[in-house]
Amino acid sequence: MRKIGKGLIFIGCMVLILFLSGCSRKEEKVLNVLNWSSYIPDSVIRDFEKETGIQVNYSTYSSNEECLAKVSSAKEGTYDLIFPSDYMIEIMISRGMLEKLDTTQLSNVGNLDSLYLHQSFDSQNQYSLPFVMASTVIAVNRDHIKDDIDSYQDLLNNDYVNNITLIDDQRIIIGMALLANGYDMNTVNEKELEVAKDWLLQLKPNIKAFDSDSPKNFLITEEADIAVLWNAEAALAYQENKNIEFIYPKEGSALSMDNFAIPKGARHMNEAYQFIDYILRADVMKEIIESYPYKNVNQATQALLDPDYLYNIASNIPSDIIEDGVYVKNIGESVKLYDKLWAEIK
Amino acid sequence: MKNKKLWKYFFIIPVIIYVILLIALPLIYILIISFFQSDYYGGMISTFTLQNYIDIFDQVYINVFLKSIFVAGVTTLICILISYPFVLAISHKKPATQKILMTLVMVPFLTNSLIRMYGWLVLLRKSGVINQVLLGVGVIQEPLSLMYNMFGILIGMVYTLLPFMVLPLYSSVSTVDPQLLEAANDLGASKIKTFFKIILPQTLPGLFNGSLMVFTPALGYFFIVDILGGGKIMILGNLIKNQFLTARNWPFGAAISIVLVLITSLVIFAYRKLGGKMEDLGGA
Repeated sequence: MRKIGKGLIFIGCMVLILFLSGCSRKEEKVLNVLNWSSYIPDSVIRDFEKETGIQVNYSTYSSNEECLAKVSSAKEGTYDLIFPSDYMIEIMISRGMLEKLDTTQLSNVGNLDSLYLHQSFDSQNQYSLPFVMASTVIAVNRDHIKDDIDSYQDLLNNDYVNNITLIDDQRIIIGMALLANGYDMNTVNEKELEVAKDWLLQLKPNIKAFDSDSPKNFLITEEADIAVLWNAEAALAYQENKNIEFIYPKEGSALSMDNFAIPKGARHMNEAYQFIDYILRADVMKEIIESYPYKNVNQATQALLDPDYLYNIASNIPSDIIEDGVYVKNIGESVKLYDKLWAEIK
Repeated sequence: MKNKKLWKYFFIIPVIIYVILLIALPLIYILIISFFQSDYYGGMISTFTLQNYIDIFDQVYINVFLKSIFVAGVTTLICILISYPFVLAISHKKPATQKILMTLVMVPFLTNSLIRMYGWLVLLRKSGVINQVLLGVGVIQEPLSLMYNMFGILIGMVYTLLPFMVLPLYSSVSTVDPQLLEAANDLGASKIKTFFKIILPQTLPGLFNGSLMVFTPALGYFFIVDILGGGKIMILGNLIKNQFLTARNWPFGAAISIVLVLITSLVIFAYRKLGGKMEDLGGA
């Protein structure tokens, strides 16, 4: 008898919880954001929620492919706003996965620097608007490494055994090997890829680790003295150690532009536009850029940023580097050549 | 009587639903898509092909298999070498102490294994605790490379998987009749002889069960390889993950997974052929 009583109390509690959790959600406005991990500080999202009363459900991904997989495998309308990079925008457009953007709903769209609009992956900006830009850079700890370094070839130096960290990204790193040998970063020519493979195998003894999550930590903890990493990570490492120097190699850097995009069938479009417009505000973008010092593409924000950001080539990428840089392009099924090569060098 | 039977089903049905929904169906799904063709955008074309399985027999991927089997094999071996003395030592303690010690084996499970890996990072890295202490005491002049290599991977694997060896082995060892050990002792058998003649044969099911539970996940724990190995080595787990997340080739990833399941099944099959009983595996 006692047991039954206890059971009833338990069931009663569960039912109560069910009801209570059910009713608080009803009238609330919601926005489901899918974004890169560590890209927008929490405070920006809290402030947006406070200002608009919209509840933001925030989930993250750590590669464009993960974003693609999440959006295409989830029910249509699961996500309202995503941040894919250049080539992924191209793929998503070609697969009809994106909604056309109605820029008339964005009062702050004029803040964007026109230099960064009309990119090849979405030449009319019908489906996407730029959020931030990134570039790969070589960061060197000058406390320990005194040699001149100005190209990827210099990384092959025998003195750097077990001392280099690379991003754990096959397109970027194989792309780096291709650039080092004077080839196109997006080549599908098997002979050229073979050369890139041999180059990476030659570099392998120097590689300490492949890490995409937090390559800056390798520099900060002095685990490695050289890193090929995204510019913002390098800039953050510099905040900890002022003897880190940034080198844009003469063969060119890999570029990446992340964009706002609304997936097909999004159920909270108005909220998505409100969020984009909020982020396009000069002061909000400033807060984001200060936490994650990628290349700012917002003209109004640029005027607000302080010299620490503006005169640091790791955060404020010089325009000639951008001109000479190369975007990762969609190469369709040739991606399997890269994947196999990646398995070979690991 | 009838009522009792009904109750039995009442408790069994959730388990059956669980197994079908979360184990059988996903496996069947994986099996089916492993015969599909990839469209290289994360999607699949439903035409029957064996190409995914043929692709696996490329030297590159065979090397990944061999590397994984090496890592998993060494991990299993180290786990066995640590677990036997540990379990034998515990089994001589009072029952209450045994319970406490075995609970302590389980305690690490309360923390997410990924977070525990980052804990190791703090210990093992160049500026980490171990190197600092050894440098401070003057045992070494240069920091040791304790991670971002095979050593780091093995530490992570053994640390994470050790309980899976200890638990079945402990169950097995506790069924060994103490009178047999006494008899061996009385008849003048050395400790080593007692181990190989009495303990080992009787704990073989536990040993096999533990080995299976250590070996199989060790083929796939990509996060350990990524964090403590610096992502420099690719094991099957990384390869499968890459197919789903970067190469956008789900059918190929599925095919590798199926081969992984086949390898595991083969090991169990061999165990049965050698006279092992399935009940000993699950019941231990």
